[in-house]
Amino acid sequence: MLPALCAAAALAIPLATGDAYIIQLLNIAILNAIVVLGLNFATGWTGQINFGQAAFYGLGAYTTALAAKAGLPWIATPLLSAIVVMIASLALGVPTLRLRTYYLAMTTIGFGEIVRLVIVHWEPVTGGTSGLRAIPGISLFGLKPEGEIAHYYILLAALVLALLVAARIRHSSLGRAMIATKNSEIAAEQSGVDTTRTKVLAFMIGAVYAGLAGCLYASSIRFVSPDSFSGTQAILLMTMLIVGGMGSIVGCVIGAVALTLLPEALRFLGQWYLVLYGLGVIVVIVLAPGGLASIASMVRLRERRAR
Amino acid sequence: MSASPIITARGVTRRFGGLTALDAVDLDVDSGIVQAIIGPNGSGKTTLLNALSGASHADAGSITIDGKEIFRLKPHRIARLGLARTFQTIRIFTDLSVLENVEVAAGCHTRTSLLDIVVSNARQKQREAEIEHRSREALEIVGLAGRADDRAAQLPYAQQRLLEIARALASRPSVLLLDEPAAGMNMTESMMLLDTIAKLKARGITILLVEHNVRLVMGISDRVAVLDFGRKIAEGTPAEVQRNALVIEAYLGRRHRHA
Repeated sequence: MLPALCAAAALAIPLATGDAYIIQLLNIAILNAIVVLGLNFATGWTGQINFGQAAFYGLGAYTTALAAKAGLPWIATPLLSAIVVMIASLALGVPTLRLRTYYLAMTTIGFGEIVRLVIVHWEPVTGGTSGLRAIPGISLFGLKPEGEIAHYYILLAALVLALLVAARIRHSSLGRAMIATKNSEIAAEQSGVDTTRTKVLAFMIGAVYAGLAGCLYASSIRFVSPDSFSGTQAILLMTMLIVGGMGSIVGCVIGAVALTLLPEALRFLGQWYLVLYGLGVIVVIVLAPGGLASIASMVRLRERRAR
Repeated sequence: MSASPIITARGVTRRFGGLTALDAVDLDVDSGIVQAIIGPNGSGKTTLLNALSGASHADAGSITIDGKEIFRLKPHRIARLGLARTFQTIRIFTDLSVLENVEVAAGCHTRTSLLDIVVSNARQKQREAEIEHRSREALEIVGLAGRADDRAAQLPYAQQRLLEIARALASRPSVLLLDEPAAGMNMTESMMLLDTIAKLKARGITILLVEHNVRLVMGISDRVAVLDFGRKIAEGTPAEVQRNALVIEAYLGRRHRHA
């Protein structure tokens, strides 16, 4: 019932507002939701702290931008972006995920910085700080969607697919192995779970989510610049996951949408918006440590106790 | 009773810095029996269990299960060879349901591909159905079938211990290591635990039991090995061990003085 209502509301939004700016903002929120869903595999479920998600997002976006500008047919770009981030994630994950604790966090921070520096300084290819413009858009079976609203529906469909895949993984032996690895690595191992393989898979699947979102970003926004994929963005993605609700599929979407729209809604405050934004994040973390997604279940629990 | 050992450990040694926690321990466990390992605190019981299960590898020695060398193998490989265990301090998966906890172990022999999961084809659904079936069976054995859909963290303490046993069972082990399974249980709960252990033995599972509560052990064990300061000081039937002068001095004697 609730999912159907949400879907209907999501489908109806462009009818309610013709404002291209709002639709474009929603498009970015949807892309962020896909990236945060990806982050949830390694961080929310498997318990590995990953600050490289923005870099994978950027790697996917630049791969698609460069490939499309070089004249490759659009259909090849998601595949290419996915392969590039897959290789990068395996190169990072295989050596570091054998080790416990925070090696992945440190490695991914370094990786994010390397990716940013390469983008900024390899100007002839990446356009440096000014980025790449006029990226060829989506073109599939002769269909070339134009305008924010058409892209909104395409991105919405991609998000639904991303949600479906995440839900299927969650309710498979792989999803259970991920959560078991987070809860107790040693108990998972003794239950026959190859925790190293599980961690690498979670990290890789998450990177592919970011890479594909990056591909869609490049070919729907049609402009990429290093700012969108910086270390600040990596922390913002982590904040979305925490505020929405670690390990909750719905929470990922709520967190991404809320934290993408909020800064715009608070824009009238000028520079003060950051203060309110920060306070809001702290309030959520203190009052609902399980994130926004946990509020519904907290209310239900309180009602049950009251009865 | 078949006399072929299912576990053979030879010269198992484990050092922590200057402390020798296990000093060249030999152990043969016959198939299908309940083997207890007892000893005072710090005698090396859990260290031996960790060495057998691969949780914390021994520095030297040889360990075989069913004739296969497992020394220094990763724990998940040892688990898939048929050795399951529970933990002295409870280690359940708190974010999963009771059923899912067991399913983690029940799926350990099932190889599946990411593609199968994503497209959720008939083969994948069949696999998941089998895992669920086997898991519900394991919950039935320990008496937790009624709580399958609850969050594991919501179970009371004694039931969390039973959940660990169900999880261990679900991987269809030939050997089950129980690390102080009665710790923190009251009398009734301990009695029910003994019943469960007897049921498992009847299913042909070899049980290696590390226990602090000597009285509990003597009733259900076929063989008892006694550790003290990392050495095996005695081994035999419960009656033999209870008469052993070394054991009385090292273990029972010291306990009596404390009590």
